[in-house]
Amino acid sequence: MIKSEDRQAIEELVYRSCLALDARDYKTFLGLCDPGFRYTVTTHSPEIRREMVWLDHDRKGMETLFANLPKHNSDHSPITRHATVYTVDAAGDSAEVVSALQVFRTQLDGGATELFAVGRFHDTVKLANGAATLARRIVRLETRQLGYGHHIPF
Amino acid sequence: MSKNAAQWSAPPKFPASHYVDSRIYTDQEIFDEEKEKLFRPAWSIACHESELQAPYDYRLFTHPAGVPLIIVRGDDQKVRAFYNICPHRGNTILYDPAGNAKRMTCIFHQWAYDTRGNCVEITRGEQGYQDRFCKEDAALREARCEVAYGGFVWVNVMDESPSLREFVGGALDILDPFMQQPMEVFHFHKALIRTNFKLWHDTNSEFYHDFLHYFNRITGMMQPGYYERKYTPFANGHATVGSMQIQYDKYEGSKERAVGWPGMARGGWYMVDLFPGMTYNLRTSVMRIDTSIPISPNEVLIEFRGLGLKSDSAEERKQRVFDHNMIWGPFGRNLHEDLLGVTGQGRALRPGTDSRYLLHGREENNTIHDEVGMRHYYAEWSKRMERPAYDPYREGKPEVRAAA
Repeated sequence: MIKSEDRQAIEELVYRSCLALDARDYKTFLGLCDPGFRYTVTTHSPEIRREMVWLDHDRKGMETLFANLPKHNSDHSPITRHATVYTVDAAGDSAEVVSALQVFRTQLDGGATELFAVGRFHDTVKLANGAATLARRIVRLETRQLGYGHHIPF
Repeated sequence: MSKNAAQWSAPPKFPASHYVDSRIYTDQEIFDEEKEKLFRPAWSIACHESELQAPYDYRLFTHPAGVPLIIVRGDDQKVRAFYNICPHRGNTILYDPAGNAKRMTCIFHQWAYDTRGNCVEITRGEQGYQDRFCKEDAALREARCEVAYGGFVWVNVMDESPSLREFVGGALDILDPFMQQPMEVFHFHKALIRTNFKLWHDTNSEFYHDFLHYFNRITGMMQPGYYERKYTPFANGHATVGSMQIQYDKYEGSKERAVGWPGMARGGWYMVDLFPGMTYNLRTSVMRIDTSIPISPNEVLIEFRGLGLKSDSAEERKQRVFDHNMIWGPFGRNLHEDLLGVTGQGRALRPGTDSRYLLHGREENNTIHDEVGMRHYYAEWSKRMERPAYDPYREGKPEVRAAA
């Protein structure tokens, strides 16, 4: 059984990761991540009946992706991640965490908000001295039509 | 100096072949006509053979002319295409986008069909129809179907139209050496974009917009050989773009593509744009196929496929997927920029925005920033539509319209 303070630390980690990315505060987001962090977006295509990987980077790759963003032309509409931690399965000094994810996009002009994507976070969290760090994040998307897409990972 | 209304409405100072009237992107009348005159007679890529590996595997595809199709591999391994419309009461026969169906059964009244289009079951047929109507009367409507040019499944819904070979002509010859090994789809996604389908094809047909892409500027435009890439127009509105050596390692986070493509020079990149709305795009390690399905004058559904080689090892496939996603996935650097670009065009070209002309006037000896690809497309468009793209309603010059 996971200790309540560990569960609280894990939930706070997941929510802080959303807040940091929502704010495009990549330094803070990476500060929540372990040196061996890896980030992957996956989904299943019923059309081609295959599992697909849509993004896959180690920590260095994520740092570069964030650093390159200003050089690209991107949609500037803010996106808002809403996560709810569903399950936490702890084993030793790590935990497997499943959270529901909804991503909303708000138009800059007029402020209309639309549901952009739904999916789940499948996180591996390291626990040490009451602190939680993100070692692995798999974003498992249900939504596969993302219109013109997005440069910033969910 | 800015322009007043009259100046804004005046045709550009180019030959008429070097600009188009923006109403060809916005008018419902023209859009409806395009579906009949451009898409219905054309061959379209419905899927790839790797999506139909086993007998009875099927795949659904909405033809750009609007027809819902079932693509199915039969018990004899032949791939056929049928309307996904039950001849009984017009219901959809198959609902899931892909699957395996020895019998294709309409859920409504359980009429069933085999993979050769024969009706094999009419529930309580004799009681209801006696000898007036039987299974032979209830076969599916078959569309022409061929597997060709890299294992893609091509369909044509018209009984009488040129053959696939006549339709493609020599446009895919440039890719022929690279399509000798079986390929396999590893990526598929659809994007519904608020723009006209031709604007997406235009983007695939001109490289001047490489200015939009940091990735392409740094790995291509600033590298030797970029301005030597040439367009070659082909019959039926198709065009190809020659290769160069892309310097992938010039982009931070990227590196020289370790997994190449059999027969292709290091860093090679070929494109073939097929009229009226498909593109083959072989970029060193990945083949991308775009298929446009027009929804309305200002909406297009684009199907994107990424393919590697069927013989790939797990490591090779992983690298191809990485290369694909770097620029072409829904989170990729280039695709997002391209789709943003054409969405912006869609926004600016809505009816009532008073947009008048789009320029296709760059001439650079058919090299990479020459707009000959678009000019060639609209010459074919004008011929098939029996309307000049620069004056689709044959109104003549503005001064003539004003006098009328």
